[in-house]
Amino acid sequence: MSERRDPLDAALGGLHQTVQPARDLWPEVRAAIEADQQVERRTRTSSFGQWRQLAAGVVLAIAASATTYVVTRESMQGQLAQETPAPLVGAMPVSFGGEQLGADYFRAREALDAEFEQRIAALPPATRAKLENDLADLRRAANEIAATLAQHPSDPLLQDLLLSTYRSELKLFADVNEMTTRTLRTDL
Amino acid sequence: MITTLGTPEPRGSAETPQLSDAALVKAARRGDMRAFERLYRLHSGRVYGLCLRMTRRHDIAEDCTQLTFVRAWKNLSAFEGRSAFGTWLHRIAVNEVLTHARNHGTRSESDEDAVTDAAEDPREGAYDAGEVMDVERALATLPEGSRRVVVLQAVYGYSHEEVADMLGVAVGTCKAQLHRGRKLLRERLGLPEVEES
Repeated sequence: MSERRDPLDAALGGLHQTVQPARDLWPEVRAAIEADQQVERRTRTSSFGQWRQLAAGVVLAIAASATTYVVTRESMQGQLAQETPAPLVGAMPVSFGGEQLGADYFRAREALDAEFEQRIAALPPATRAKLENDLADLRRAANEIAATLAQHPSDPLLQDLLLSTYRSELKLFADVNEMTTRTLRTDL
Repeated sequence: MITTLGTPEPRGSAETPQLSDAALVKAARRGDMRAFERLYRLHSGRVYGLCLRMTRRHDIAEDCTQLTFVRAWKNLSAFEGRSAFGTWLHRIAVNEVLTHARNHGTRSESDEDAVTDAAEDPREGAYDAGEVMDVERALATLPEGSRRVVVLQAVYGYSHEEVADMLGVAVGTCKAQLHRGRKLLRERLGLPEVEES
C-alpha cells in the first residue's frame, strides 16, 4: 500500500527556497552598517606583521600581568597564601595554527594560561563559570578555524578570523587579570 | 508580480571553505565584517526569496533584505543560538516585511474576518478564473494573509506555532489562512479537491 503525495504539497515543495536578487545587495548593506555604526576600518599591516603584533601583545600582557600580580600580592601581606587555586574545569588546549607566531608566543601563552587558571579560582563561582564558558567558546572557534585554515592556508578571511579569535582570548586573559586585581585590592 | 525565480546557490563551493554559522557569528560579533559578509552570502538568497514571495515586489524585497541584514548586524549580540541563524534571520525578515506593509499602507490581516474578506477581495492578485497557473504565479495571486502563511509554512517549512509567532497572529488564524490559501491554490493550479487536514 503506497501513499501518493498530495500534488499541491509536491508543487509547493518543488519551489526553491533560495532566490538570488538581481543585483548584489551587500555593498548597500555594508554601507548602511558603516554609516550607522561608524565602524572604523583598521589599517591593515602585512599578515606577518599582524602575527608578530599578536605575539608581542601576549608577551606584553604577561609581563604586565605578572607585575601587577606581584605588587598586589605583596601589598596583601600574605593573605593570599591561604587560598588554594582550583583547577580550571573545561579549559582545553587549543591547537593553534599560526606557525608564524613562533616558540616565544607559545611559551608566553602557556604561562599566561597557567596564570589565568590560578587567578580565575579567586573569582565568584558564577563569574568563573561565565569566563570558563567564554574561553571554551573561543577555543572551540579557534580550533574550528585552525582546522579549516589547514585545508585553505591562503584564505585571508580565515587568517583574519584566527587572529581575531586569538586577540579575543588575549583580551579575556587581560580582563581576568584586571578583574582579579580589582578584587584583591578591594579585599585589602 | 513574481515572474521568474533564480536557481538556488549552493552553500559553498570547492573554492569557498565552509565555516559553521556559529563560528562566523562569533567572529561577526567581534566586529569582523568579512565574516558577516560570508553570512550574508550564505543566507541572503533564502532571505530574499522569503521577502519576495511575501511582498511580491522585487524592489520591496530588496529593501527588506537589506534592512534584515543591517538589523541582524546591530543585534548580533542578542542572537543566543537557540535557533538556527537562518531562522533568526527569517524572523527579522518577516518583521521587516510587516513593518514595511504597516508603513506603506498595505493591509494586515490579523483576524478570522479579515481572512475571509481577503479571499473575496478582487484587488488581491490578477486572477482570471479558469486559468491554470504555475505554482509561483498562483502563490503570488493569493490574498496577503494566506500568502504569507503558505509561504512560511509550505515553502519554508515553519510550524503553525512558529508562523503565528512570526506574524503576530493566533495559531487558529494561521491555520485558517493556510486552509484558505491551499484551497485557492488548488483551484488556481487546476488540482483536484482533497480533504485538507
